[in-house]
Amino acid sequence: MVLKTLDVLGSLHGYGIARRIEQISGDLLAVNQGTLYPVLLKLEQEGAIASDWGASENNRRARFYRLTKEGRKQLQAETQDWEQTAAIIGRFFEVKAEDLS
Amino acid sequence: MKSLRRFLNRVVNLARRRAKDDRLREEIEAHIALQTAENLRAGLSPVEARRQAILKFGGVEAIKEEYRAERGLPFIETLLQDLRYAIRMLRKNPGFTTVAVLTLALGIGASTAVFSVVDAVLLRPLPYPNPRQIVRVWEQAPDGHRMSLTDPNYEDFRAQNHTLSGLAEYNDGPESVSGGSEPARVNVADVSRDFFSSLGVEPFRGRTFADDEQVFHGAPAMIVSYGYWQQFLGGAADLSRVRLSMDGTVYPVIGVTPRGFNFPPGAAAWVSREFVYGMSSSRSAHGASCLGRLRDGATIEQAHADLDSIARRIRNEYGEKADLASAAIAPFADAMVGDVRTALLTLFGAVCLLLLVACANVAGLLLARTSARRKELAVRAALGAGRGRLIQQFLAESFVLSFAGGALGILLAIWTLKLLPTILPANLPRQEGISINTSVLLFALAAIAAVTFSLGIFAAWRAAAGDLHETLSAGSRTYTDSGASQRLRSFLVIGEIATTLVILVGAGLLGRSFLRLISTSPGFRQENLVTMEFSLPIPQGQVFAMDRSFTARQSQLTDDLLSRLRAIPGAEAVGLAGALPVAAGDDLANGDFLLLNGQKPPANFDQWERLMQTASHVGKASYCVAGEGYFRTLGIPLIRGRLFGDQDDLNSPNVALISQTLARQHWPNQDPIGQEIEFGNMDGNLKPLTIVGVVGDVRARGLDFPPSPIIYVNYRQRGMNVNSSPTIIMRGAAPAGNIVPAARAVFRELAPDVPVKFSTFEDEMGGWLADRRFLLLLVGLFAAAALVLAVVGVYGVVAFSVARRTQEVGVRMALGAQRSEVLRLIVGEGARLAAFGVAIGIAASFVITRLISSLLFGISATDPLTFLGLAVLLSLAALVASYIPARRAMRVDPMVALRYE
Repeated sequence: MVLKTLDVLGSLHGYGIARRIEQISGDLLAVNQGTLYPVLLKLEQEGAIASDWGASENNRRARFYRLTKEGRKQLQAETQDWEQTAAIIGRFFEVKAEDLS
Repeated sequence: MKSLRRFLNRVVNLARRRAKDDRLREEIEAHIALQTAENLRAGLSPVEARRQAILKFGGVEAIKEEYRAERGLPFIETLLQDLRYAIRMLRKNPGFTTVAVLTLALGIGASTAVFSVVDAVLLRPLPYPNPRQIVRVWEQAPDGHRMSLTDPNYEDFRAQNHTLSGLAEYNDGPESVSGGSEPARVNVADVSRDFFSSLGVEPFRGRTFADDEQVFHGAPAMIVSYGYWQQFLGGAADLSRVRLSMDGTVYPVIGVTPRGFNFPPGAAAWVSREFVYGMSSSRSAHGASCLGRLRDGATIEQAHADLDSIARRIRNEYGEKADLASAAIAPFADAMVGDVRTALLTLFGAVCLLLLVACANVAGLLLARTSARRKELAVRAALGAGRGRLIQQFLAESFVLSFAGGALGILLAIWTLKLLPTILPANLPRQEGISINTSVLLFALAAIAAVTFSLGIFAAWRAAAGDLHETLSAGSRTYTDSGASQRLRSFLVIGEIATTLVILVGAGLLGRSFLRLISTSPGFRQENLVTMEFSLPIPQGQVFAMDRSFTARQSQLTDDLLSRLRAIPGAEAVGLAGALPVAAGDDLANGDFLLLNGQKPPANFDQWERLMQTASHVGKASYCVAGEGYFRTLGIPLIRGRLFGDQDDLNSPNVALISQTLARQHWPNQDPIGQEIEFGNMDGNLKPLTIVGVVGDVRARGLDFPPSPIIYVNYRQRGMNVNSSPTIIMRGAAPAGNIVPAARAVFRELAPDVPVKFSTFEDEMGGWLADRRFLLLLVGLFAAAALVLAVVGVYGVVAFSVARRTQEVGVRMALGAQRSEVLRLIVGEGARLAAFGVAIGIAASFVITRLISSLLFGISATDPLTFLGLAVLLSLAALVASYIPARRAMRVDPMVALRYE
C-alpha cells in the first residue's frame, strides 16, 4: 500500500502517506498512524524507498519518501503476485455448484 | 539480497543510533503538527486538536521501541548498553575495579607467560617433517637402565629391523675448529649414515655426506650450521674452496644446514662418525646416542617389539660379550624434553593454582558488591527485567573486568617474556621457540572467557538467589546481606587459603631442596677458581689410543702452559684435569675396570675381554686424567699414600689415585695402596696401573648424586685422549678479571692455534644450578603472590563482616562486652577460616607434593617441618589480616553504633 501510494502520488511525507491510506481505504483502515514509521524504515533499509528532508505544507521540516527503482520493481512484482492471488481467489468465488456438475 | 541489505543497514545504524533517534522524533513531531493543523481546520480547539492528533498517532514510546527494534540489532544494542553500564559501574568503584583488574591481570599474565614456555617446549611439534615418526633408541641393561649404543649392536639394529626407515648414531662434544675467520671452540657432532635423512633435514646449501665420506679413512667432509657459516665463513655462496681443520684433519665443507636446525643442541658442525672413529667391534663399549624414523604406518610399539627381538638375538649369539637385555624406544620429542617436563608441569600447575586463587579473590569481591547491590537488582527485577537480562548484565560486567585484566595480563606476559632469557636455565631445550604466538593468545583468550563465565554466572546466580520481596521490604539497612552470601564468601576464602598453602608447600619443598643442595659440599673448595677449558689437537687415528711420542709432546705443552700460568701474579695454585667436576654434570668418562689381584695383566684386548667375564674382577668407576696440581688447587685431601710426583713419567710404572668411595667399595678392610688395576679400555693402553694414593671424595656427577668412585691417572703417563676435555683450573687471590687476560696471553704465546674457553667455577656451577634456581624462583614468586591474594581475601571477608556487624558489636558493648572479647570475636572469625583452609590445604598438599618428589633433593615430599612451618606462616598472615578490621570493630562507640539504625 505504501509503495502504491508513493507510486501514484510521488514523493510524500509520513503524514501524507498515512492520510492517503486512510482516504483510499475509506477510513476503514484507521490504525495507529505511528505504526507506519517502522514500516517505512524497514522499506527504506531494504532499499525500496528513499527519503529526504523537505518542507511540509505548514513549513515544517518533514521527511519525504519516494520510490526507488528497486521499489518500483518490487511494486511490480508484488502487484503481479497480488493480481495472480486475487485472480485465483476470485475464480474460487465465481465457481458455482452447477459449474462443477 | 533484500534481507542482507536490511541487515547491513542495521549494522551501520548501530553506529548512528543518535542521528536516527533524532530523525524519528522530528518526524513524529511533524506528523502530529500536520494532524493537529488538520484537526484545527476541522474546528477543534487547539488543545483538543493536539490531543486527538496524539491519540490517532498511537503510543509514541511503543512506536519508538518498534522503530528501534526495526532499525538496529536489539540484542547487540542491549549488550552494548550493558557494557556501557558495566564500565560506568566499574568506574564508579575505582578501588574495587583496580584490585579486581590487577588481580586478574596477575593471574592471567603469569599463566599466559608460563603457558608460552610450556607451549614452546612441550606442546609444539618439532620442526621436522612428520616429527611423530622420529624416535630415540637405547639398549637396555638387564637391570632396566638405558644405555647408549655400541657400534656393532647399532649395525645389527639398523640392518635387521623391519619397522624403521632409518637409524642413526650420533654424539657431540666441544672441538676446536680452525680455518674460518678465526679458530673457535665449538660443538661438533659426529653422526652416522642415516642421521639427516632420519630427521628429514635437507641441507640449506650443498649436500649431505656421500658414501665414500662415510668410511674410516675415507674422504673427509664437514657440514656446518647456518650460524657458523654466517659467523665464521661470511655466508660464502661458494663452498667448494672452504676448508676447515679439526684434530689435525682438513675437512672440505660440503654443506650448510638450514637456519634453525639445532640438533644435537648447540652443534656448529657435523662430521661423519664412520669417517672419524670407524666402527668399533666391542659390544660393551656404549658410546653413541641413537635416533631413528619409523616407517610409514609402523607404530612405536611395533618398533619396540622389533628391536627387542633383535636385542635378544644378539644376546643369544654373543652371550656375556654383549651386555644388553633388550631395547628401549621413545618418541624423540619426549626424550628431548626429558626431566624438564616435570619441572615445567609443576610450574604450570602452580600458576594455574595462582589463577584459581586470583579468581576466587575477585569472586569474593564481586560477591560483596552483589550483596551491596541487592536492592538495585530487586528494583530492576520488580520493574520487569527478566532473569536472562540480569545474567546478561552480570556477564557484561565480569567480561569488562576479565577483559581488562586479561589485556593487562597479556601485556604483562609479553613484558615477562622479554625478561625470560635472563632467568631461563641455559639447558632448557627448545627455549628459542618461546614467544607469544597464536596458540598462546588463544590460551589467554580461553582463560579470559573461562574467568568471564565463571565470575558472571557466579555473580548472577548469587544475585538471582533469594526472595525479591524480602529484599525489597528488608528495611533501610545499608547492608541487606544474607548470611548465605557471607557463608559463600567464607568458603571461597577457605578454598583460597587451601590452594595457597599447596603452592607455598611446593615452593617450600623446592626451596629447602635448593638450600640443601648448595650447602652440600662438592668435596673441594669452590671459591676463586678460574677454569680454562681447551682442546689439544690430536692426530687422526689417535683420538682414542695415543702413541708415546704424542703423549710426551702433549704433556710437554701442558707442562709449559702450567708453569707459565703458575707464574702469573695472583695465581695461587694451578692444576690440570680431564674434566671439570660437577659443572656440566656427567663429564667424566666411566666404565668397567679390572682388579688384577696379583694376576698377570692382559696382553691384548681379547685377554682383557676374557678377564672381564669374572665378576669379582670387575669394578665400575669414572676415569679422570689429572696432574698433582689438580688436587692441590681444588683442595681435594690426600687420605693415604702419595699424589703423583716427578718420579712418575712415561718410563716408570703407571700410577693411579683412587677416591675414598672406590677404596671402600673394593678394599673395605685392606690397604688399597700397591694394588694393581687395569683401565686400558679408556685409552687403549694396557699398561696396568698401580694405586699409590687415596684422595677425598668428589661429587663429580652433580651435587644431587652421591660421590662417584673415581680413578685418577697421570696425564704425563696416559695422555688426554678424546675421553677428556682438558681443563686447567687456577685458584687466584685476585679476581678472575685480572687473571684471565694474563692467562689468555700465555695461551696465545705457547699455543696460538688452541682455542680456550675461560670461565669461573661459580659460572659453571651456576649453569648447573640454573634450572633449579629458575623453578624455585618462579614457584616462589607464585607462592608469594598467592599469599598476598589470600591475605587480601581474608581481610576482605572479615572487614565486610565487621561492617555488617557494627550494630551487633555496638549492642554487645552496650551490654558490657569487653573490647578484648570483641577482638576475640572478630579475629576468631578469621582464625576459623584459616584453620579450615590450612587443614584442607595440608591434606591436598600431601597428595599433590608427591607429584614433584622427583624434583626434590634430600627432603621427603611430605617433610613435616616444611608443612608445619608454612601452615603456621599462612595462619599468622590470616590472623594479621583479620586483626586490622578487628581493631576497627574494637573501637566502635556503642552509642554511634546503636544510632546507626
